[in-house]
Amino acid sequence: MTLKDRKDKFMEFWNEYKKVKFGLVGLAFLIILLLLIIFEPLIVPFEGATEAWSDIAYWQDYPQNSRPVWTNFFSKDKRTPSVILEDFKETELPQRGQVRFFEYEFEYDYNYDIAPKDMILRFKGDGKPFVTISIIRPDGKTIDLIRNREMIISSIDGARVSIQNNSGANAYNFASNYESAENLSGVARDRIDVMPVIMSKADVGITKGAEALKGTYTIKISAILREPQENIEKPIITMSGAVSGLMGTDNQKRDLFTGIILGIKWALLIGLLTSFVSITIGVIYGVICAYFGGIVDVIMQRIFEIFYGIPMLPLLIVVSAIFSPSIWLLIAIMGLLYWVGPVKTVRSIGLQIREETFIEASQALGAGHFRLIFKHMVPLLLPYTFASMALLVPGAIVAEATISLLGLGDTTIVSWGQILNSAFRGGAIINGYWWWVVPPGLMIAITGMTFAFIGFAMDKILHPKLKSR
Amino acid sequence: MKENKQTGNLLEVKNLQKWFPVRKNLKEMLAGEQKHVKAVDGVTFELKRGEILGLVGESGCGKTTTGKLVMKLLNPTGGQMIFNGKDVTESTKEETKKYRRDVQMIFQDPYASMNPRFNIRDVLEEPLIIHKIGKTRVEREDKIKKALNEVKLTPVEDFMKRNPHMLSGGQRQRAATARSLILNPKLMVADEPVSMIDLSTRAEILYMMKEVQRDLGLTYLYITHDLSTARYFTDRIAVMYLGRIVEIGNADDVIDNSLHPYTKALISAVCEPIAGKVNLVKEVPIKGEIPSAQNIPKGCRFHPRCVYAKPECWEQKEPELIEYKDGHKVACRRYKEILKEK
Amino acid sequence: MNNNVMEVKNLKVYYMSEKGPVKAVDDVTFSLKKGETLGVVGESGCGKTTIATSLLRMPSPPGKIVGGQIVIDGIDIVPLKEKEVRKNIRWEKVSMVFQGAMNCLTPVYTIEKQMWQTLREHREMEYEEARKVMIKYLNYVGLSEDVLRRYPHELSGGMKQRVVIAMGLFLEPKVIVCDEPTTALDVVVQAQIINLLKELKEKLGLSFIFITHDLATEAEVSDRIMVMYAGKIAEIGTNHQIYGEKGPMHPYTKKLLEATPRLHHRVEKLSFIPGTPPDLLDPPKGCRFNLRCTEVMEKCYKDEPPIIEIEPEHFVACWRCVKK
Repeated sequence: MTLKDRKDKFMEFWNEYKKVKFGLVGLAFLIILLLLIIFEPLIVPFEGATEAWSDIAYWQDYPQNSRPVWTNFFSKDKRTPSVILEDFKETELPQRGQVRFFEYEFEYDYNYDIAPKDMILRFKGDGKPFVTISIIRPDGKTIDLIRNREMIISSIDGARVSIQNNSGANAYNFASNYESAENLSGVARDRIDVMPVIMSKADVGITKGAEALKGTYTIKISAILREPQENIEKPIITMSGAVSGLMGTDNQKRDLFTGIILGIKWALLIGLLTSFVSITIGVIYGVICAYFGGIVDVIMQRIFEIFYGIPMLPLLIVVSAIFSPSIWLLIAIMGLLYWVGPVKTVRSIGLQIREETFIEASQALGAGHFRLIFKHMVPLLLPYTFASMALLVPGAIVAEATISLLGLGDTTIVSWGQILNSAFRGGAIINGYWWWVVPPGLMIAITGMTFAFIGFAMDKILHPKLKSR
Repeated sequence: MKENKQTGNLLEVKNLQKWFPVRKNLKEMLAGEQKHVKAVDGVTFELKRGEILGLVGESGCGKTTTGKLVMKLLNPTGGQMIFNGKDVTESTKEETKKYRRDVQMIFQDPYASMNPRFNIRDVLEEPLIIHKIGKTRVEREDKIKKALNEVKLTPVEDFMKRNPHMLSGGQRQRAATARSLILNPKLMVADEPVSMIDLSTRAEILYMMKEVQRDLGLTYLYITHDLSTARYFTDRIAVMYLGRIVEIGNADDVIDNSLHPYTKALISAVCEPIAGKVNLVKEVPIKGEIPSAQNIPKGCRFHPRCVYAKPECWEQKEPELIEYKDGHKVACRRYKEILKEK
Repeated sequence: MNNNVMEVKNLKVYYMSEKGPVKAVDDVTFSLKKGETLGVVGESGCGKTTIATSLLRMPSPPGKIVGGQIVIDGIDIVPLKEKEVRKNIRWEKVSMVFQGAMNCLTPVYTIEKQMWQTLREHREMEYEEARKVMIKYLNYVGLSEDVLRRYPHELSGGMKQRVVIAMGLFLEPKVIVCDEPTTALDVVVQAQIINLLKELKEKLGLSFIFITHDLATEAEVSDRIMVMYAGKIAEIGTNHQIYGEKGPMHPYTKKLLEATPRLHHRVEKLSFIPGTPPDLLDPPKGCRFNLRCTEVMEKCYKDEPPIIEIEPEHFVACWRCVKK
């Protein structure tokens, strides 16, 4: 067929497809998913995100287990979102000999009900300065969070200190001035939640963050540089929010939205590759059975039945447990098991096509087996093929998700199943971290739905039309 | 390998047999019997070069199976086929492919005989590709256009682009004929080529087929159940019953001077567009129903239904074709007496 | 005195397709006398099968009866409610014998069960009585009562067709519509079925509508013949008027007759009509046969010819037959 013929046929198909509403819905979703894959590098906050996913250091400054930002819209008590404070006032105090004294002042407007999870100071530079951090609350009270701590600036990462991890004792002391004995007794010195203490009203209940103290906070950082070559550059304060990101974070502080986006390409890859491989094998297998019939058919059917009887999930589990396979091996195994799906139907359609007069006519013209199978029978099955391919995708995605959920999948990739697996292990269900569980599950469902819609729409149109005289 | 060019026979069929084994039930399997559907049970005829031989009979008589045997779409279980002087009863794959260039078929259902997804161009190109005729696309297209012109499916460019469902019944049959012609065959087996076509177009297709025969020197084996059309189109007619030829001869002779009781019954059963027959009961000299091809009656297989049957018909061996005159043969022992009875 | 058991007036049946209405039957008027067989003949697409199903008030979807009357035994069935038609009209007043009996006998039930089901739908009857009726009509069509125990696949084509005829009769309707009842049958069986229909007509005084595309069969079966073309009537005439010496008047009927091959004398040149029937979605102006007619005049392209009675009982829709 000429190019123009192909184009005409495609247009004909497209016109038909446009009429099926849910097919368009499916197609729209597919386009969205594809766009997300294409623009992944832009959406995802940093490069090489796939590798970074497992790197704890990457996510250091993110809060742990925090909800998505938009949940604030629905709750009465507003949680603090993550914020990076970059503007500061730098003051250099008079030197004493070689020793230099610097002060940095940051301002933070706090208007929320639930305090951030952490406050982290980072800076680059050189040396081992002594750092003191104190915070002046809107009510005038000052808390010294960190006193004269020697901070080593690494050439790679700079220096970093987390208030939550290091100011427990100071926060406890501060809180004990105002908190009731009852409440205090329930709090361990080294395990206290520092941020609520800092940012709540100085009253009973301060350790629980009972009433937020709203207003402007000033954070003062003093640094002592003893050696001349030491210096401090670009200090930044990160408020690790109580809410973070579009989909929150998990217990490894990873932004789940990033994870979801990264998972799209794996889902599509797994789904499409598996279904492509298995449908191709299945259709050719079914057509050959139908075409040759007789003893060939009988033997092939028996082989088919053996494969059909193999339970996929147990097999995947066993293989995964023994060999710890990569995702490619998993796809191969799924492909080798899923092919049984279309065979029976393809065989019955094939048997019908086999009886058609035009097959006999082509035989009469001298056509050989190859031509009859691949030029006549398979093209007529193409519509069913595409429809099945689309419908097999959700199955493959779920299969991989199941394996990953059971902890047997390929941990080097970021798939939604993997995310669900970590959610399970990280106690998401028990702790009610719904944002960790729902989005991956929802994405599996939506992607499945996308392909199901497309598959059904195609099936509706491409189904061999009834003959008309 | 006798060269039969002198006799001018393109095809000779001798005692051709096609028996289909019937699936046995458990009892039969244990008893070790094998039943057969004897679709073609000893058929003998000659097809002269350039002639049109009609193979006529009711459903189940074996005419379509005979056609498929001639086409080598089926392999015979017995008998011999000689094409152009060469014994082609058994042949290798290559020989069969070569045979296909010489013997082609027109099918009954013009729509079903073409893949609905191909356009006419593809339909006609297929045989060329299979037999590697025409090295370039342009060469092949030339041949396609020539074939379409031969069957008067013009304008050619227009029809080449169309799919079968965009053509009328008559046009489809022309296209199918063009496809069969493109290989330049010597023999065309036509299986009910016009029965699915409207009356007003039938003659047009038959006329086209006759013209094609004249232009290309073809020979036809015309299979049909319609005696009237057979008379119009064919030169000679062979009447089949239950897998055998019971009468064969010139079309006019077989119809106007039928010898076999079965032929006579067929003739009397056919309706004619003549006034005054509305209130007349059709006298059809035949009894009972067609028996199953699994249980062929002993002796003359027509005897249970024959109104002239006498004990000799079922007691003696099955009658062979006897010549009456001028190539008019009949497979009936008593035909002379029956003629006298009239 | 009206001897008409059925009268059809200005019947219009259109198929409502996506692209618009296909005018399959477009203003058709005819009548059927008691005890006669009216043949309806035409080629594919002429509307004859549509008429068949419409006479039972069940045009196949998306077909719809959009106008006209079908008066059977004095009642116009077109405006009736479906329930009414099902109860009192279908199979009671008018029944149908289908083409290819395989289409109306289910392979999973015995003949007895199928006949009994139909009877039960329409008559309050005990099984014993119903069985008597079934045997009576099976005998009428030449079948013995052991056919009742059989399944359709155990019967030959001819026997199945007889069963279907028996089923069409046993409620003793006024009109029996036969849609190509013999087309799928062998020629010998066909002759037997035709004989049967003639016998039944005489014995039971039935009225038949016999639809076929085969002019030869029509000649031996029908008292009067109606020729249809592209949804309209071309000609109606008695058996003699159409097939007799003088021959038909409509150019289409003439050509159709010339295209029918003969058995008993050698035809030198069989006629054919080049071209194809018009698109019923958008029929041409004037006479629908104008593009294929060899006797066409200018008027034929402008106006549709009216149906004129050129002699008693002989109607033609052709401008050539209209005397000035």
